[in-house]
Amino acid sequence: MLRLALILFACVALMAQEGHPMSGTWSGDWGTTPLSRSHLTLVITWDGKAISGLLNPGPDAGKIQSIYLDVPTWTVRIEAEAKDAKGAPVHISAEGKLEDLGSIHRTIKGSWQQGEAKGDFRLTRD
Amino acid sequence: MRLLLAGCFVCALALGQRASDYDSSRKVHLEGAVTRIEWVNPRAFVFVDVKDKAGTVLNWAVEVGNPLDLERSKWSAASVKIGDALVIDGVPSRDARRVVYGTSVTAGARKLFTLTARPALPITTPAPRWPNNGHPRLGPAPGEHGYWEVIGTPQLRENSANAVAMDGEGLLKNLNDADRVAPFQPWAKAVYEFRQRTLLRDDPMRQCQPPGGPRQFQMPNGVQFVEQPEIGRVLVLLGGGDRNWRAIATDGRPAAQADEVVPTYYGTSVGKWEGNTLVVDSVGFNESFWFANGGLPHTEALHLTEKFTRTDRSTLRYEVTVDDPRAYTRPWTGGWTLRWIANEDIEEFFCEENAESTFTR
Repeated sequence: MLRLALILFACVALMAQEGHPMSGTWSGDWGTTPLSRSHLTLVITWDGKAISGLLNPGPDAGKIQSIYLDVPTWTVRIEAEAKDAKGAPVHISAEGKLEDLGSIHRTIKGSWQQGEAKGDFRLTRD
Repeated sequence: MRLLLAGCFVCALALGQRASDYDSSRKVHLEGAVTRIEWVNPRAFVFVDVKDKAGTVLNWAVEVGNPLDLERSKWSAASVKIGDALVIDGVPSRDARRVVYGTSVTAGARKLFTLTARPALPITTPAPRWPNNGHPRLGPAPGEHGYWEVIGTPQLRENSANAVAMDGEGLLKNLNDADRVAPFQPWAKAVYEFRQRTLLRDDPMRQCQPPGGPRQFQMPNGVQFVEQPEIGRVLVLLGGGDRNWRAIATDGRPAAQADEVVPTYYGTSVGKWEGNTLVVDSVGFNESFWFANGGLPHTEALHLTEKFTRTDRSTLRYEVTVDDPRAYTRPWTGGWTLRWIANEDIEEFFCEENAESTFTR
């Protein structure tokens, strides 16, 4: 079983993504402090004209209104609507920098505002 | 012509000196005795003990080229022996490791690991043809053997951009020429320029990923076609990469639809003959590879139309139209020529990921 798991891990590790640098599934978290974090999953697609995506796919998925990538600076801006812990709608506005562009596990790091709460986020491409 | 071809062939062989590994702006001179020989694809190394100015003996790894290229020029692991005194001029590694690419290796008066050029193209004769349909054979005629090899260092760029200067790895001499290589979308141009600026260090082929798309015909170790008309198929066997193969259906089936196939490195290919040209339509590519030297990006929307025309016994014209509306603003076409290497077979080439990292330090 361990051998199978290692083989599967190796296969996944080899599957680089060399297309649009935003495409794919990203995971990470955001929070107002290093100890207060909320998990994030973004599934991002590029159709040749626009970037679109899903935030935290599932029954409580957020709705991404726009994702913009400024290629000269590799700056990423995300606008989304989600629900807070009580189920009330809350607006999300985030801006980060796409880093380690050539890596399979490239990252986006920056600032995250959800309603009135301000913090930072970090996403790594799976 | 002979001189030109010889020069180009040597350029192709120089692919081993990767810009991302070696800093050609610096030089190293070493003198020492051989302690070890590692004749491993894709790079052969000779190790020497070198005494520095303080008298300390340090072991250096000297890359001497690709074993297949060297063996074609009659060099082997037995060309040097443990204890031989070598004088090496080379280009050092970009990192702190004691690794050089040997541009000149001598033992006494004997110059080692020099590459000889292939002879000039033979006088052309008509392409061999299939007796039943008259199509040119892409592979050898009965009783022959041989394979196709690139001439020089073919680069994929739009046909109208022939003046763009690149080196053997596809690195632009002038990054401002990027717009002339292909009609990039902005993100694709930015990614291409990033890969160029970083000297192609993230090339998936460095992790032994297959050379899908046109890149399979840019590899230095040749390509072979095995035509199987009785089952409606052409196999493309690659000497480069990791001895991969690709199948082209020629049984009359319609072209594949991208959303109906599992994306792969070589896509799904359907071919048909148009006069003397095999026209191959391919879709269903994954995004895990670079489809050409130099780091041209693509997406899963990539659609290739390749044309193979054997104009005579020794010449195969390859032309490819790249249609990827998610990466390029319009379809574009490039191509190059391969030549027939008669009476030889493609040799075993296995990419061994990071093989050198196990013994260079």
